[in-house]
Amino acid sequence: MKGVNGKILIADLTTKTTYTRMLSEQEYKLYLGGRGLGMKLLSEYLTDQGTDPLGPANPLMFMPGLLCGYPFPSSSRTCMVTKSPITKASKPTKQFASTVSYSNMGGFIGPEIKFAGYDGIVVIGRSDTPVYLFIENERVEIRDAQKFKGMTSNMFDEAIIKEVGDRRFESAYIGPGAERGVSYGSVMNTGARSAGRGGTGCVMGAKQLKAIVVRGSNNMETADPLLFKELLKTARLSFGADSESKTNWRYGGTANALQYSSDRGSQAVKNFSEGTFSGIEKINAHAARSRVWKRDMACFTCQLACKKSGFAKGAYGGVVNEGIEYETGTMLGANLLIDDLDGLHKMIEIADDYGIDIITLGNVLGFLMECYDKKLINTEFLDGIELNWGLVEPCISMIHKIGKMEGIGAEAAKGVRHLSEIIGNNSHDFAIHVKGHELAAWNVQGYAKSLGISYTTANRGACHMTGGDINGQNLSTLRDSLGICSFAASWYRNDLHFRHLIKAITGFDLTEEEFMETGERIFNLERWLNCREGFDRDDDALPERFFKDAYTSGPHKGVVLDRTEFNSVMDEYYKNRGWNLITGIPEHGTLKRLHII
Amino acid sequence: MPLSRKDFIINSFWASSGFIILNRTETVAGTLTGNGPIKVIVADYDRCTGCRTCETICSAFKTDTSGDKSPHGPGNCEQSNIRVWRFMPPVDIPVTCYLCHDTPCVASCPVSVSAETGRKALYRDESKGTIVCDLNRCIGCQSCAETCKTERSGVIYPDPEGSPTGMCNLCDGQPQCVAWCPYEALSFVEIWPEQTKYSTPQIIFEQLKHKLYTIQSH
Repeated sequence: MKGVNGKILIADLTTKTTYTRMLSEQEYKLYLGGRGLGMKLLSEYLTDQGTDPLGPANPLMFMPGLLCGYPFPSSSRTCMVTKSPITKASKPTKQFASTVSYSNMGGFIGPEIKFAGYDGIVVIGRSDTPVYLFIENERVEIRDAQKFKGMTSNMFDEAIIKEVGDRRFESAYIGPGAERGVSYGSVMNTGARSAGRGGTGCVMGAKQLKAIVVRGSNNMETADPLLFKELLKTARLSFGADSESKTNWRYGGTANALQYSSDRGSQAVKNFSEGTFSGIEKINAHAARSRVWKRDMACFTCQLACKKSGFAKGAYGGVVNEGIEYETGTMLGANLLIDDLDGLHKMIEIADDYGIDIITLGNVLGFLMECYDKKLINTEFLDGIELNWGLVEPCISMIHKIGKMEGIGAEAAKGVRHLSEIIGNNSHDFAIHVKGHELAAWNVQGYAKSLGISYTTANRGACHMTGGDINGQNLSTLRDSLGICSFAASWYRNDLHFRHLIKAITGFDLTEEEFMETGERIFNLERWLNCREGFDRDDDALPERFFKDAYTSGPHKGVVLDRTEFNSVMDEYYKNRGWNLITGIPEHGTLKRLHII
Repeated sequence: MPLSRKDFIINSFWASSGFIILNRTETVAGTLTGNGPIKVIVADYDRCTGCRTCETICSAFKTDTSGDKSPHGPGNCEQSNIRVWRFMPPVDIPVTCYLCHDTPCVASCPVSVSAETGRKALYRDESKGTIVCDLNRCIGCQSCAETCKTERSGVIYPDPEGSPTGMCNLCDGQPQCVAWCPYEALSFVEIWPEQTKYSTPQIIFEQLKHKLYTIQSH
């Protein structure tokens, strides 16, 4: 069959063996690639419920999307798939009851995996010493990585190139944070792009796998070359010279949303207690563009280039590998009341060097700041750090503590839920997480009907990318499986349909219903895996804060979310999903219809 | 029309762009001796985002046998004649064959000059200006690739038989990488070859790093 390599690479770090496994046409047809195919494989590996996410039995997968490697604009994303080391069921039946985890990154690693001849890399087992996986087409080696231990992301990115002796290799790796066991460690590539959410880097660290390094020379084929070219032409037109994507979104990237979100009162501010940030103009895209950013950077064949690099000035001056984005700018900026643009870039730089998820990090710092402000904890608890709102220096000290897992850092490295458990004193009310996974930078008040659904029903714990309704959720699942970037794909022309792309590449001629059902299937499979571990509707709960604390400013000032109203929205959701209204578990008929069981 | 001296300095001097680095002190047109201007592909590093669309376009164009080449199908970047080198801190350097006027690659070719054609195994096709390998005479010693790598753009690499490939053929006068670059970072312009100063990607990176990421530059 055309359009796929038809096989995945499996590396067993315990026995130090590698082998390939062929996949059937049916598996591609039902699960496409990326997140979907990863979940299908995960469901086969997790035969035992309650598998320890940090144990050898948990597989860690690098799954390039179906479109990875094709020069289709903005479709080069790789999905990390594994079992989450972060989430926990409220009524666990087994010790290690956790959700599935998936996390998405751009860059160049996905296409290179496809070029090397694989549709995914599955790492199982656990090594006793640090290793990295070397892949050059059929040549696969598990090599010693002792000398790279503790190396920061930016340093490693160059060091691995020297090690393999050729700049054409692409790599994905973890930083020292994930190596030491920070639960929200991320998998990085190119020093700045990361699969941040869901703790996939932590799983990689537990396996003592420092990196994978890949290079491939295979050619990509399409089932219908003429259709493919037609679609490619349409896609490129979406990013023409006068398109909004080019004139507006290349200018500021996702950071354009910083101002927009604050204005409409949907930003995470002061540990999610406010939706509008008064200092936003100092850290928005215009400020960053004029003060820090120098370059635009694109992922593989992307025509938008949302990523920025530059140089910060002043006390926090230095090279900026990763300019602020909406999420990083909000979580380490607005959420902590920090409006020092240079300091903010410094914090992002340090966090990325440790390789830890900045969304969770911003939550952890915000939560601790609120506890400190409310005098629930003192400086002794914080190892002497005076963690006051709006100050960069104590935050930097805290990030170092977390990255090194020292003192309070070892506790903070376990996330907000763990901190609220040890701090107590009703701090649970403002511990911003769902299932133990912290919320992202979009605040809930006033947007609960969509965002609330996204956060509560997301299968990796709170997630802003999941989608606020059933159709949107199925579609975002499909995007992750195809490797399409959610941000850039927003500007695809309306006459461009993903299922036509699937047809051009693989020859699968899916109807609109079959196409959407594929997304539904993947989403339900994830849900089913979670429910098997003991998760149910009680776990789909928003933090108490949103039902109690009203904003004091902005368009949604004074509003609090009504619990009865939100429950009825949720009722509607479960009913339409074909899940049990009381338990939230997918009904037998639903799973049967989707060919999951 | 040849690019004006001023325009070219603005566009292509290392401070803003150009894989070919001009020597500022020299004067131009009219006073020049030797051959006239040639057209080459010039990169603007301020515009390049490192997306590697050029690589996929080039390899697709080379390997596409369908006859319908526009737009291009998929292609593996490995087979491209243009290379985007990514460095840390983030700088992306696209390079293709510089079409150097002094052709050190040809100079390093150990194969004797043929009495019949007056050419070595590697030679410049005078009608197009491009560097070509005579596959019948090449001994696969990699001298040209080695020389190009240490002194120039380093685009020459061995094909499966060990003969040099990767030299730009300018797509018969319509370079596809230039036509399809989403960021207008590549242009096909006339330059005066004797005035150019050639650098390796590593050296260009060092200069750009200094420009973008040091305190002195602010």
